[in-house]
Amino acid sequence: MPITKVLIANRGEIAVRIIRACRDMGIATVAVYSDCDRAALHVRLADEAWPVGPNPPRESYLRIDTILDVARQSGADAVHPGYGFLAENEDFAAACRDAGLVFIGPSPEAITLMGSKTAARQAAIKAGVPVVPGTEEPLGDDVPDAEVLRIAEGIGYPLMLKAVAGGGGKGMRMVATPDELPGALRAARSEAGSAFGDSAVYLERRILSPRHIEVQLLGDHHGTVLPFVERECSIQRRHQKVIEESPSLAVSPALRRAMTSDAAAVARTVGYTNAGTIEFLLDEDGSYYFLEMNTRLQVEHPITEMVTGVDLVRWQIRIARGERLTLDPETLLIPRGHAVECRIYAEDPDSNFMPSPGRILGLRVPHGPGVRDDSGTYEGGEVPIYYDPMISKLITWGEDRDHALARMRRALAEYEVRGIKTTIPFFLWVLEDADFQASRFDTTFIDRKLGARQGAPLQAIDADHETLAVLAVALDQVTRTPAAARPAASRSLWTSRARHDALR
Amino acid sequence: MQMRIEAGNTLRHVFVQRKNGVYEVTIDGTTHHVDAVRIDPATLSLVVHDAAGGRRSLAAALSPGGAPGAVDVHVAGRRVPVQVQNGSGLGRRREAGATGSGPQRVLAPMPGKVVRVLVKPGDAVTARQGLVVVEAMKMENELRAARDGRVKDVSVVEGQSVDAGTVLVLVE
Repeated sequence: MPITKVLIANRGEIAVRIIRACRDMGIATVAVYSDCDRAALHVRLADEAWPVGPNPPRESYLRIDTILDVARQSGADAVHPGYGFLAENEDFAAACRDAGLVFIGPSPEAITLMGSKTAARQAAIKAGVPVVPGTEEPLGDDVPDAEVLRIAEGIGYPLMLKAVAGGGGKGMRMVATPDELPGALRAARSEAGSAFGDSAVYLERRILSPRHIEVQLLGDHHGTVLPFVERECSIQRRHQKVIEESPSLAVSPALRRAMTSDAAAVARTVGYTNAGTIEFLLDEDGSYYFLEMNTRLQVEHPITEMVTGVDLVRWQIRIARGERLTLDPETLLIPRGHAVECRIYAEDPDSNFMPSPGRILGLRVPHGPGVRDDSGTYEGGEVPIYYDPMISKLITWGEDRDHALARMRRALAEYEVRGIKTTIPFFLWVLEDADFQASRFDTTFIDRKLGARQGAPLQAIDADHETLAVLAVALDQVTRTPAAARPAASRSLWTSRARHDALR
Repeated sequence: MQMRIEAGNTLRHVFVQRKNGVYEVTIDGTTHHVDAVRIDPATLSLVVHDAAGGRRSLAAALSPGGAPGAVDVHVAGRRVPVQVQNGSGLGRRREAGATGSGPQRVLAPMPGKVVRVLVKPGDAVTARQGLVVVEAMKMENELRAARDGRVKDVSVVEGQSVDAGTVLVLVE
């Protein structure tokens, strides 16, 4: 089915990213916007722009009915959901299909299936892919301690005791040794019972120092699923990825073969199409476990693009219009150089990452060899309070990891955002860390390192910085005199132009 | 041009003049030679000359801070909050201590010579009234009262050479 006009049901940098891919392919674009996004970059760059409602996402970017109305009125024949908002909403994918629109993503059935943690786990098991060892059946009140101890022995310590109906850490206990189990079991059951009305629990192996490794996949409608070289996403702050890189230094070529073919196997088991990502936990001993599948384009997709040369969004569209995946599977698994991404947020890293929305008064974006800035904003643009505070993804590429990191340091130092606070100083600090540089980290790295700082400012200001700032302010005042503001050269140009006009 | 700029909780007396095509910026008695070019309304390119003959190139970008007179200076990879006092343009705040209390110490902003003393102990003075004139780098600078008060002490006499930071007059 041909795609001639794509409605992008999103905002910010990802809407801009998709608009650019469409433009590359000669496909028209339709942007949607909430009230406060009228002047947003994605609106400015799209061929068409339609309002979809007030600022709260529930009243605009999450309104399936309004967005489908816009698709019909604008004559769009396809919809790209981006990530977040409606990207993993099976009702939206189904509504698009029912309305005769091509949904640029997986089928609603695949979204439903892989959206369920237990169903996804079953799919992995069916594909012969390891999952975090644990009990498959709930352990109710009637299961005696001796039986639980026996099961625990089979899983191995340390382990996590979790409420089946759990959430928010309630009914969750870490158990390091067998003698801790009976007490923890009583506590977890009673907590789960009072919190959820269901005291059933289950056991899961606790992976002490895991890395988060994920595998990008593309699947076409002709049965082909291709995995890409892995992404290393262990650098997380409060379970939110902040720095990603590809490849991972913790993944050997042999491990890469195993993980990527397992990832593809899970996707094939469920007949997955379009772009998706399988997330794994990688243990220190090299064993890995299926964690979950993301049924959408990922925020960090550019690092994969940088090391494979593949435009993933373009392929999403090509797959959606029925094309076959003609990429060479071998080249997708051999990274060309190394890529790193920093997610730049409008947050103040020195005030516990408090959001810092507002107007961007000044913006200097880094350029030069190996630098890519996927931004959703511009100088003079507004960072609204209603949405995710990520303003840009800064990506660098290098011949190897050190080269990519050096370029990232250079690009971050060139990056200047005035008017709002950003996490740029936080990234400069992480990049200086010896353990990070040596790739010695797991998913707890950032929270541990930040905790150890005990609130010390990320970038100390010394006497030299103060002197330079005072010099700058003083010279700013001096050069702000009327003469400086209106240089003689330009004045005389105007004068001569006026004379010229008068004499005509 | 003379101004007071607070950075890192320290108030600095700053004096700027242009000489031989560069700016001489004296901060609390230390002179820096700087070539400054305006790039845009918020950005300056600075080339700071150091004593060893080096030339350090820096971009400095200014944006308004939270309070009146507050400026965030983006320089050398840092955002340095600065408070401009008694300045024009960005600094809309009144002179330091204008609404404060306690004695006001009027200091020499740069090394120089006292050419005139305009008040004597016991005189009532009003805000912005001239107290002492100090000559430095062939320029006369009149140092003024920050707020209304009474002169408690005059520590210098006409013709006296003073170092940067020397207390000239005490007003309470």
